[in-house]
Amino acid sequence: MFKAIVSADTLGAALDSVGVLVDECKIRLEDEALTIRAVDPANVGMVDLELSANAFESYETDGGVIGVNLDRLDDIVGMADSGQLVHLELDEETRKLHISLDGLEYTLALIDPDSIRQEPDLPDLDLASEVVIEGADIDRSVTAADMVSDHIALGVDPDAEQFYVDAEGDTDDVHLELGREDLIDLTPGEARSLFSLDYLKDMNKAIDTDAEVTMELGEEFPIKMHFGFAEGDGHVTFMLAPRIQSE
Amino acid sequence: MTMEFASFADRAAAIEDVPSDTETVELVADLFVGAGEDLDTVARFIQGRVFPAHSATKLDVGPALCHAALAKAAEPNVTPADIEDRLAAVGEVGTVAEGLTLGGQRGLGAFGGGSDGGLTVAGVDAALRGLAAADGPGSTDTKLDTLFGLFNRADPTEARFLARLVVGTMRIGVGKGTVRDATAEAFGVPVDAVERAIQVSNDVGLVTETARQAGEAGLEDVRLAVGRPIEAMLAQAGTAVDALEEWDRVAVETKFDGARIQVHHDGERTRLFSRNLEDVTDPLPEVVRSVEESLDVPAILDGEVVAVDEAGSPRPFQDVLRRLRRKHDVAAAREAVPVEFYAFDCLHAAGEDLLDAPLTERHARLSELLGDGDGEGAEGGDGEGAEGGVSELRIVDSAEEIASLEEAALSAGHEGLMVKNPESAYTPGDRGRNWLKRKPDAETLDLVVTGAEWGEGRRANYFGTFLLSVRDGEGFRTIGKVATGITDEELERLHERLRPYVRSESGTELELEPAVVFEVGYEEIQRSPTYSSGYALRFPRFVGVRSDKAPDDADSLERVDRLAE
Repeated sequence: MFKAIVSADTLGAALDSVGVLVDECKIRLEDEALTIRAVDPANVGMVDLELSANAFESYETDGGVIGVNLDRLDDIVGMADSGQLVHLELDEETRKLHISLDGLEYTLALIDPDSIRQEPDLPDLDLASEVVIEGADIDRSVTAADMVSDHIALGVDPDAEQFYVDAEGDTDDVHLELGREDLIDLTPGEARSLFSLDYLKDMNKAIDTDAEVTMELGEEFPIKMHFGFAEGDGHVTFMLAPRIQSE
Repeated sequence: MTMEFASFADRAAAIEDVPSDTETVELVADLFVGAGEDLDTVARFIQGRVFPAHSATKLDVGPALCHAALAKAAEPNVTPADIEDRLAAVGEVGTVAEGLTLGGQRGLGAFGGGSDGGLTVAGVDAALRGLAAADGPGSTDTKLDTLFGLFNRADPTEARFLARLVVGTMRIGVGKGTVRDATAEAFGVPVDAVERAIQVSNDVGLVTETARQAGEAGLEDVRLAVGRPIEAMLAQAGTAVDALEEWDRVAVETKFDGARIQVHHDGERTRLFSRNLEDVTDPLPEVVRSVEESLDVPAILDGEVVAVDEAGSPRPFQDVLRRLRRKHDVAAAREAVPVEFYAFDCLHAAGEDLLDAPLTERHARLSELLGDGDGEGAEGGDGEGAEGGVSELRIVDSAEEIASLEEAALSAGHEGLMVKNPESAYTPGDRGRNWLKRKPDAETLDLVVTGAEWGEGRRANYFGTFLLSVRDGEGFRTIGKVATGITDEELERLHERLRPYVRSESGTELELEPAVVFEVGYEEIQRSPTYSSGYALRFPRFVGVRSDKAPDDADSLERVDRLAE
């Protein structure tokens, strides 16, 4: 059993952050929250999402897992105006999700969860450096790097107490430094890793410019990015594996 | 135990390196023996297939997607355009993939987030099947990421064969015959039994598995299955004389100018497959309906779908293609291009495979299933060549009978005749000598000279090229130019003969009054927008001047229309 009412904005934000990595996902209906964990087909980027029951106007479930096509669900939710409420109800018999918003009724066929790629284990990483940064600064870094390259190095210089971004193109380079005064917080430690911009651009799409993002970085290690949405009742962790840095 | 993809790639590379067919067969046989639980997959991969030949599911990865995935997996700042440049230089995507520095992207598995170890044959197969199943708006990204994930984990040799597998061509000299011979060698079964099993199942994976597990007896048990299309039996070009020399009696039927269709009816529902085994059920609802109305037992039929005009006369082959390729607005297409289905062979009826039965028996079964049940064509022949949707099969023993049937078929607007050995079995995919297609022999046309061009070099003082036209009512329409087959002496004579008829001259081109008729030989008549008749002659050559003919006696556009079909 699953029956919930939630604002279109909140649901849309949750779906977007998963949809940038995968087309289909399993949604776990837990007592206190709805959770999604998914990894892209190349096992390079991962998302772990929790949307607490508090983010809903009403939320009732006795547990279970449903499989959805995110593009389709996102299209339906996209029909709603900002702030409008979306009603969700699972029909256990037909395995369909009834969605209604402002008089519009939509019945979404669900996907067999077993046909969706296995949810990944969440790697337990001990990363040396932590940077708390505004979404807008991530957007600036990614946009600048994208002008010259398809890869981006993210690092922390512990001595200078700076977070920095390097992008090397065939002809042009981009370098950006953000010191303590530009950041919300910084726990310095040796860190530098190279990432594919394709993935980072996609993840960036799901991060609001005014979000407060905690980045964890290491030496040639995956990056973790955590941020909240829905006034703190929703929480997303992105994780992205690095590229090998050529000498 | 599942086979490492690296091991498959190394074997494929070794096969690519040996020049001789016998060694190729040995290496493929070794590969089959060592393939373990992946035998069926390996047998498909080695021919550049993920799905069996009969499957309607295709991998359907275009070059753009493959190049994008390679660029993404390559060293920094390699773009899809770079991949295309390299492809243009080396000509083949496998070599391009092998030359890239792949694997720069690490996977989360290296950090405890699931497995991303080496590629296996089964893993590649599963990933590519998943890719083929992806559809909907976001599926291009999923497909790209899937391919990227595979290439990212590939070593150079793996990358060469993975890229070739993705585009569907392995380029290692392993054809159908090699797979057949290697299966026979690997599992000690007769070549003929393997050949037959491949023909009826159209799935080398199934056949290799069967050969290994159940041997010759198992292969003999492989049967046709309704819904699993097989390759069509093909015809060679031939003459009536050949046919009469080889067989005492000759089975003759109309050669329809349409699209080959295989009908699979399971007793209730019907599916149609094209010559290249695509499911064309949806584009041809009227064929499905007529088959479902006539058939009440499971059957597999072979036949031709022909586009027809309002009077029921055949229209050109291109028109029927418009129907087959139509996915949307089938109703509108159906109205614009009506089609008729002519069945000419029956491969399976009511649970019985008929491939080995003689043609005459198969045709009799076909008439029982679809026609009025007497198994005989209509007497006399109306030239339509079919009765109740069943192609008429006539058994004759003289060249005169064949000629008269041919005349009837041509004048009804059909393409010509098929002549078949009445005793022959149905051999799928085989372009043997048991079916011959006899088109009217390329002859000569008598054409009017309506223009000329000054020659070049040694021939600069004479007309060198002649513009030819066919008669169309009171006027003339151009159909081509002839410049070959003319000696210098003849050229001089032609020049003198045509000079009085020059109407006007512009640059090197002259317009001539229609007066002189040439006999011109050609190999083929093609549709062409270049000339006002809508046709062009392939390989035209000057045969002679028809002094006995006036322009009004020249060949007409109507005759060309008929010859061209």
